[in-house]
Amino acid sequence: MGRLVVRRILHAVWVILAATTLTFVLLHTAPGDPFAAMVENSRMSEATRARLRHVHGLDRPIGEQYLRWIANVARGDLGHSTSQGRPVSDALAEAIPNTLVLMGTALVLSFAVGVTLGTYQALRRGTVSDRVLGTVALAFYSLPDFWLALIAVLVFAYRLRLLPAGGVVTLLVHDQLGFWGRAGDRLQHLVLPALTLTLLTGAGIARFQRAALLDVMGEEFVRTARAKGVPERSIVRRHLLRNALVPTITLLGLALPSLLGGAAVIEKVFNWPGLGLLAVNAIATRDYFLVTGSVIAGSAAVAIGSALADVLHAAADPRVRGPAR
Amino acid sequence: MTVLDRHASPTMPTAMRRHTRSAALALVALGSLACGRPDGGRAEPSADSTGSTADAGGTIVIAAQEPDALFPPAIAGIPGKALSDLMFDQLAMIGPGLNTTGDAGFEPRLADEWTWAPDSLSIAFHLDARARWHDGRPVRADDVRFSFIAYTDPDAASPHAESLVGIDSVTVRDSSTAVFWFRRRMPEQFFQAVYHMSIMPSHRFRDLTPSQYATSEAARSPVGSGRFRFVRWTPGAAVEVIADTGNYRGRARLDRVLWSATADPSTMFTRLVTGDADFMERIGPEVLAQVPRHADLRVHHYPGFSYAYMAFNLTDGASSRPHPVLADRELRRALTRALDRDAMVKNVWESLAVPALGPFVRAFASADTTIPQLAFDTAGASRTLDSLGWRDPDGDGVRERNGVPLAFTIIAPTSSPQRGQYAVLIQEQLRRIGAKVTIDMLEFNAFLERLKGGRFDAQMGFAMMDPTPATVRQFWGSLATRSKGLNSGSYTSRVFDAEIDSATTAFDPGAAITHYRRGYAAVVADAPAVWLYEPSPAAAVHRRIQVTGMRADAWWAGLADWSIAPGQRIDRDRIGLAARP
Repeated sequence: MGRLVVRRILHAVWVILAATTLTFVLLHTAPGDPFAAMVENSRMSEATRARLRHVHGLDRPIGEQYLRWIANVARGDLGHSTSQGRPVSDALAEAIPNTLVLMGTALVLSFAVGVTLGTYQALRRGTVSDRVLGTVALAFYSLPDFWLALIAVLVFAYRLRLLPAGGVVTLLVHDQLGFWGRAGDRLQHLVLPALTLTLLTGAGIARFQRAALLDVMGEEFVRTARAKGVPERSIVRRHLLRNALVPTITLLGLALPSLLGGAAVIEKVFNWPGLGLLAVNAIATRDYFLVTGSVIAGSAAVAIGSALADVLHAAADPRVRGPAR
Repeated sequence: MTVLDRHASPTMPTAMRRHTRSAALALVALGSLACGRPDGGRAEPSADSTGSTADAGGTIVIAAQEPDALFPPAIAGIPGKALSDLMFDQLAMIGPGLNTTGDAGFEPRLADEWTWAPDSLSIAFHLDARARWHDGRPVRADDVRFSFIAYTDPDAASPHAESLVGIDSVTVRDSSTAVFWFRRRMPEQFFQAVYHMSIMPSHRFRDLTPSQYATSEAARSPVGSGRFRFVRWTPGAAVEVIADTGNYRGRARLDRVLWSATADPSTMFTRLVTGDADFMERIGPEVLAQVPRHADLRVHHYPGFSYAYMAFNLTDGASSRPHPVLADRELRRALTRALDRDAMVKNVWESLAVPALGPFVRAFASADTTIPQLAFDTAGASRTLDSLGWRDPDGDGVRERNGVPLAFTIIAPTSSPQRGQYAVLIQEQLRRIGAKVTIDMLEFNAFLERLKGGRFDAQMGFAMMDPTPATVRQFWGSLATRSKGLNSGSYTSRVFDAEIDSATTAFDPGAAITHYRRGYAAVVADAPAVWLYEPSPAAAVHRRIQVTGMRADAWWAGLADWSIAPGQRIDRDRIGLAARP
């Protein structure tokens, strides 16, 4: 197990390096730069833009820029954000916790909902409830994330006025609340974005879990257990779920990148100041260092999540660990 | 605030140029200063610019994009500029007429009076003795000198340094007098000195080098002298400023402005209709139709300061050879006449824009609404094309001449749906006279690359203006072609260049206007572009908020005088100015 963990960490480092290098090269070879948007502003002349490019070292060869950047990253300096006027590390330090809260909540809820629904459907295969739930799950699975988010805002924030439309807290009011009031306020703001992500991801997990469970239900050891008179509840808990969870754990690793990608859209719609919104804005403004910094953070989260899924998979399935020595 | 004496233009005899405040104001100020005050001796204003502050109060939440910075020299975007203008003052403020020649119309701010040198190569600004930084310290001439350095030092890398290029230096005559020294006498030297430069407290940056200013803690937690003071900036969420109750210009009529960072326009409007926000600076046509459905909201129109155009490339791609189709002036005029610009404006913008009249905006004093336009006339345009030899002998719907088809490509940025819609309408209207147009929608940066390289036939351009009409040279002047400026179509006109040169060197505002208008007329007649629309921006605003003083170049200019009647206040209006974490 220890070797597996080390191997996964090394792999994660390579993934992060490759992702950020590719991002750096693509960004710098794409048209435009952080000061291009000033072009239509008559107050900013071409000479001013050229001077700003020089000050930020963007007029140097891309190889030199990359080596300089990578050396700075190795020293822990992710650079200075041109769109935010502050160190990239500061911007990330504020955004990452928000994304972790949103993603973490959505991840836990979507697996809880998905596994429960999938199991329920598999155990009632072919019934009306299975068909209805399957159709509903398929519908949510097929919906565009931004559309579902907008509908959620329209219904719960605008029509019913039950929940806030966006943000992390209620501005001005939040600071005047007590501890529990603040906690409740944060929770209120978390509901819609987390619910949207949960519905989108949970629907996929439910379909996956149902299929995995149905596969296992056809296995000989299940039939044997039944023939031996093992109670159905015990069969489900000890034989079916345990075996069906192995591919679902794999799905955990796969769900992280899509959750992170989905979070970018959800964060934009719900004005949630997380990593996704930060990256989207940074790309729009060609904020090179902030984009690469966001990619480092995002790819690290995905690599760590995938490694964690691999380790959990290995823990759940001894065959993955290979022969014992 | 008490009205001060008018200030003279530099064309007046120098002996008459020193102005002093009225005796009445002096008495009020002295009386005020004599009183002991709990906030570091700051003068309580006698009244604000619109009347009593007894009913001051309320909070406005503005849904807008997050500022890029709050340190004035480092700011490149509108949100940062708006917020910093609430917290920082200039020496004088441009008047509602937006005159940029001499000092006519400029209103005192940190400087309560100014004196021109006999040779007009320097201006001495006397600072208002009542002016204090928000930390209680007095505003001194040394702060003015520091501000000039912060804007112009190469290490500070301010995007505004070039706007101050006509100023040689700023010196301190005494603690309350700063002297601006100019490289040469210019009609707009006063405008240059006061419009672009906010005055900042030198003591907050004392131990820093210019390269450290913009990234310092002092830059992110600004201390200014404006009618609002900084409270906090929660990145990704909001910037909060509150009324500076002892401000020398009078207390703001609102308690608080909360600049709520919202990246997406549709999210901004959602926040408005759910009551999370009160104000959205600019709405699109799709939102304009929705506002009346919400009883709490209303639309507030204000003057625009930009225009859009379709510029023709007069050269063949990146080369200096004439364009095989569009280099012909008469052909461009015919194409312009084939376009129904009035109908296009209504189609795309409803009431949120008017047809542009030329390379200027209506808010300019030099704007000429009588300038002869190339009126819509499809039949006339067709006749002109016939006479130029552009015919359609094979009947395929596309005219040609000497084997060259009347065809070209319009490039437009995907960032502007309106410009994309215009491109489609233009394509259809030009099809009717036998011109084949293809449209290439490009990501904004790719669009800019094509402009810089001259790799286009026609482009859907947009110009955000500065109060000085001199910026017209950057878009249409011979010295601003391609990499040297924004004249991507390489239009050149000796008449235009000469008239604008004369306008920018004329000390008499009337003469300057005459030259500008002649220059505009020359461009319009040459038709290097089709003048498409001039946005008439509209804000969506909560009904309880009384909006005033939205200027074309700065919609936020009068924000300190916006108000909420006591009887209409909601919960967040009653929070007050209590200390907040």
